[in-house]
Amino acid sequence: MASRLWKEGASHVVLITLVLIITFPVIYALIVSTLTYQQAYEFPPRLIPGTELWPNVLEAWERINMGRVFFVTGVVSAGTAVVKIVLSLMAAFAYTHFKFRGRALLFPLTMITQMLPLPVRILPTFEMMASFHWINTYSALTFPFFASTTGILLFRQFYMTVPRDLSDAARVDGAGPLRYFIQILIPLSRTNIAALFVIEFIFMWSQYLWPLIVTTTADMRMMQIGIKMLIATDQIAPAWNVIMAGTIVAMLPPLLVLMLFRKSFAEGIAMQSQK
Amino acid sequence: MADNIEEERFPGHPLLPYILILPSVAVIVVFLVVPFLQSVIGSFFRSTAFGTKTVYVGLDNYTRLLTASDYHNSAIATLLFAGFVMVVGLAVSLAIAHLLNQKIRGLGFYQVAFIWTYAISPAAAGAIWALMFAPSTGIVPFIVAALSGGYLLNWMTNGPLALLVVSIAATWNMLGYNIVFFLAGLQNIPEEFIDSARVDGAGPWRTFWDITFPMLSPTTTFLLFVNMIYAFFQVFGLIDIMTHGGPGDATNILIYKLYRDAFLYLDSGAASAQSIIVFVVISMAAVVQLRFATRRAIYAR
Amino acid sequence: MLINIRRWLMIGLALILGACLMPEVALAKKIEITWWHAMSGSNGKVVDAIVKDFNATHPDFELKALYTGSYEETMTKYIAAYRSRTAPSLVQVYEIGTQQMLSSGAVIPVHEIPGMVGESWDWAQYVIPITNYYSTDGKLWSMPFNSSTTMLYYNKDLYAKAGLDPNKPPKTWAELEEHGKKLISSGAVPHVLSFGWPDWQLEQTFAAHDQLFANNENGRKGLATKVLINGEFGTMVLTTWARLAKEGIFIYGGPEYAANAAFQAGQIAMLMQSTSSLAGIEKGSPFKVGTTFLPRFEGYPSGNSVIGGASLWVTKGQSKDELRAVWAFLKYLGRPEVAVQWHKGTGYFPSVNSAVQTLLDEGWFSKDQNYLTAFLQILSGRRDTAAATGVRMGPFVQIREFERTAIEKSVSGQLTPKAALDEAARKADQLLSDFAKLQQ
Repeated sequence: MASRLWKEGASHVVLITLVLIITFPVIYALIVSTLTYQQAYEFPPRLIPGTELWPNVLEAWERINMGRVFFVTGVVSAGTAVVKIVLSLMAAFAYTHFKFRGRALLFPLTMITQMLPLPVRILPTFEMMASFHWINTYSALTFPFFASTTGILLFRQFYMTVPRDLSDAARVDGAGPLRYFIQILIPLSRTNIAALFVIEFIFMWSQYLWPLIVTTTADMRMMQIGIKMLIATDQIAPAWNVIMAGTIVAMLPPLLVLMLFRKSFAEGIAMQSQK
Repeated sequence: MADNIEEERFPGHPLLPYILILPSVAVIVVFLVVPFLQSVIGSFFRSTAFGTKTVYVGLDNYTRLLTASDYHNSAIATLLFAGFVMVVGLAVSLAIAHLLNQKIRGLGFYQVAFIWTYAISPAAAGAIWALMFAPSTGIVPFIVAALSGGYLLNWMTNGPLALLVVSIAATWNMLGYNIVFFLAGLQNIPEEFIDSARVDGAGPWRTFWDITFPMLSPTTTFLLFVNMIYAFFQVFGLIDIMTHGGPGDATNILIYKLYRDAFLYLDSGAASAQSIIVFVVISMAAVVQLRFATRRAIYAR
Repeated sequence: MLINIRRWLMIGLALILGACLMPEVALAKKIEITWWHAMSGSNGKVVDAIVKDFNATHPDFELKALYTGSYEETMTKYIAAYRSRTAPSLVQVYEIGTQQMLSSGAVIPVHEIPGMVGESWDWAQYVIPITNYYSTDGKLWSMPFNSSTTMLYYNKDLYAKAGLDPNKPPKTWAELEEHGKKLISSGAVPHVLSFGWPDWQLEQTFAAHDQLFANNENGRKGLATKVLINGEFGTMVLTTWARLAKEGIFIYGGPEYAANAAFQAGQIAMLMQSTSSLAGIEKGSPFKVGTTFLPRFEGYPSGNSVIGGASLWVTKGQSKDELRAVWAFLKYLGRPEVAVQWHKGTGYFPSVNSAVQTLLDEGWFSKDQNYLTAFLQILSGRRDTAAATGVRMGPFVQIREFERTAIEKSVSGQLTPKAALDEAARKADQLLSDFAKLQQ
């Protein structure tokens, strides 16, 4: 019994140490975000937190107009995630519940999308945005991301486990396929929807290269470019205190989403890891 | 892969499936396939920055790339970088997941504590690690100097060091994601297998290598592919924030070199050729992954 | 009766419609123009102030200034916008983008604009070395805006600490080496000198000694097709730097402004850096900052230091009204008080002679000698040779990378200076010939 407790205790020690090591960079960033410009350049580097967190956050907020950036990034991230989910649900439903010509193309299509990440087509897609006059619009930031084969495969996997009796019963009750889809299938998919929302929201919030090239104005700026703008200083050494304050604030929304839905997220992953 | 649909579940709706898949297919064709084809075509041309003149150069863009030492360096840097992220990342994550996969109190807390870094974007991670490794004033160079009696760690002038630093930063960034999947995979391994191995007298190492690891291979293959995609593409923000591909070309991984050629040097032909080469590499990896993955959750980013 | 009512209704409607349209017509719409620039941080604030004042004093016009990222990003965005016909009226392009802009077919040369709007203009009011940079065949193509050059910054306190005279900085590379040895042996610093923009410093060194960097008169008489960096002079320069590095005097500090932090932290005693860093360095350095001309290599001719920074280009295809607005702004920038405001707020050179005179008159330069150093360097050098004016190359951005790599490899001992320069020259020549071929 004692050895059991020892073992557990040792595990805890190891785990806590690991947590601290892995979280240290963020802790340090948090400390720096509470310092003044000079304090951040103290040598030896200062580990005692200061009192300037709020002023630094305000300065970062003002410098890159974070309110607007939050809004744009929030709309793009949440909006795209929702549209992706809807489109994936629809496509997965079609593929699993209907026989139609071209069904066999599902896998090639998903393979194509996985093999065509942005960099493989970056210049022409960019020029396409320019010719649509979509530069600096929500459209450019969202449309190219709407198709999610991850989502399609995810829901398809799930729908294949839904027993046929369900749709049979619905049909007997006189429900058409759309009724069945909306009133029965989608509510059933709640966990997967939440999990996908987390993934897609974080994915869109983290977007860097695409917003970098399709937005040029400050009022369509996305969060990650906001961080870049914070760091971009012309002739002076970077103001790490302000940069860290801004970076940490930038990390909050995806963190919030992850924490809010983490049960579903974990469940969804667990579900997928099983056969 | 085989959907056994013998009869229509909802007969009498011939058009509905097409309508349902139309938006997704439309987006894929318009925004993915068409630009890709344009990339292919563009790779055979060279044009001025402002597009005033375009000439056909056949395979010249490709031959130049494949014989350029810059491109070789870029490819090697990418391989080293991706290799580090994949191998070290998975090894560390697996170890941690294994530790987590016990019946201990506070498991929930630990799960949160390890997974939350998934929410940190590559750019944010880049900013934080740039701070920590800032030459002259950063905390890591300070510690190294103190411990080594004055060795100045300056990644801005030391190529291999810069590559190492960004590799560590990128690996750190993916830890949360990897741990979550490994943990799920581990928890799916039926207890009986582990117990029977224990009964047979196998030590923990043996059990791990002979039973656990093989049973994890679906998860491992999947994570290898996802980490590869991450290391090839999604780290762009991290590199742009930390090193801009420097010093010299030390961290000028393929995606960054592509960006530079396309948008800084305004050489669309070379950029398109690079796009296609990257496409070939990723396709091969995707096909390999498909072979290994029989039934798979593809929670790719 | 009915017809009358209908008639009155029609008239009433017409009157109402007229009343609605009248304000549209009566209110003369402001002529809107946009300007894309790359001035961030405190420089960006000065830009905003100037734009605000311009709009206030020119009620017919509305100038919208947009920060569009770094110089490269601004250039890329401009090209994309131009190709989709949504380009801004004015764009700020860095000096190394000059040849690209000249070959683009997208711009109206600035010297033609007064004629197009029915005015005349005295081009002699601008500072000559600056206009030389942006002129072809004596005609100015872009409006100088933010010009800088490089100079040698040094730490006066460390000089005193090492027993050197803080008011006698080195004039030649030989002297710099001497001072450097003393600084190290006295324990004042572990390393002495670093570069900001090392590639630019190489170009500066060529121009300062009247050496051509590329053929065809530095790319000014015709498109450059070969670089001349791997000749005797270039090899000598890099050999010197490599030797200084071996002695611990020179330490490579990374690109752009990366070396500033080390200088401000007192870890190096000297920094060759852009004059535009002056305000930031003085603010961020807890010691006395001195500046002086770039060190010379004895035995070589005298040239000039090269203009850096950026200039403003005017997009083709604008309406006459828009051109009037653009020209009004360009003229506004040439007003002495505006030029002085720009200089004082950013440290960039004033582009008009009248502003220089104003600054001299009010004793600005005697308040802080450092601001004078850079200016004197430019004004006291040659202005009549292509070598002293600076090189012009299409694929300049990429070639700068090759220069940097050559410097890095020589300084770290990876390659001999000649081999490093040969490698850079080879790559540069290929790009130059590509560029020239495409222009035919």
